[in-house]
Amino acid sequence: MDISKNIIESAQEIFSTMVMMEISVNGENMMTSIPLTESISGVIGMAGTHKGVLAIHIPNKVAMAITGSFLGMDVDEINEDVEDAVGELANMLGGNVKSILSENGKDIDLSLPTTITGQQYDFQPTKDAERIIIPFSCDAGEFTIDMQLEK
Amino acid sequence: MGDMFNVADEIITGTKDVFSTMLSVDLENEAIHENKKCDIQSNLTSMIGLGGGIRGLLAIHCPASVAKNITGAFLGMDVDDLDDDVKDAIGEIANMVAGNLKVSYAKTDISVELAIPTSIVGDSFYVSGIADANRIIVPFIMTNETFWVELMYVANS
Repeated sequence: MDISKNIIESAQEIFSTMVMMEISVNGENMMTSIPLTESISGVIGMAGTHKGVLAIHIPNKVAMAITGSFLGMDVDEINEDVEDAVGELANMLGGNVKSILSENGKDIDLSLPTTITGQQYDFQPTKDAERIIIPFSCDAGEFTIDMQLEK
Repeated sequence: MGDMFNVADEIITGTKDVFSTMLSVDLENEAIHENKKCDIQSNLTSMIGLGGGIRGLLAIHCPASVAKNITGAFLGMDVDDLDDDVKDAIGEIANMVAGNLKVSYAKTDISVELAIPTSIVGDSFYVSGIADANRIIVPFIMTNETFWVELMYVANS
């Protein structure tokens, strides 16, 4: 999918400017997901001329490090700060993807950012959607960005 | 923007309408939970985002057995596992309930667009919205078991 390059650039920009972290792509893009353990996912929906879902799946330890860097404080548990930070990351990524998909970004609306937190869960599309999962790594560890677009 | 209609009532009638029309099931609901904690035990959650006039998320949270019962009633077949049929069925129901909510909002001149449904399957997970989102949870009873329909939303400024 062409937009993976744009997603990568957006993610790197967001992490570098807002989270003060450098991130890099860590392997080949994937089309199906693996079960997530002790992780938190930030999720945001897109509706309008393009319909889809964008998610960022982060292991707890990495999420705490990212939140700490984002908020400038020590974080040692998955709490509301982590949920808000991860949700906000999904929100910012969603905002960038909006402009990638639609010239002025006005024809696509973003839903409420939400988070899923759990010991073990599977995050899956329900309908026929084109899916791309991009693996990233940063100093704190690895995470993925998961983009699904209605065909 | 204030609530010009009762969102909880619209969720209740919207859900009951989908179940009676598509599954021939008459649902009962229990007392709603509005902006307070509710103990939800979900093995399968189908969720769909809402954008435009509001920024929201409509989620259907099901314990495994209820998800299978709902799918069985929807598809007219027995279901043993939380497989693709179950995810598709609950996802489609979430889509239809969200669709009814879209119509409800349209009657108050608020235009809402739907994203696509996704499913979360697992034994121990929970879903959170951002801190200041409104949260309405309606418990429904199907074959003596409970599932929950939840709407989280903020007005879109």
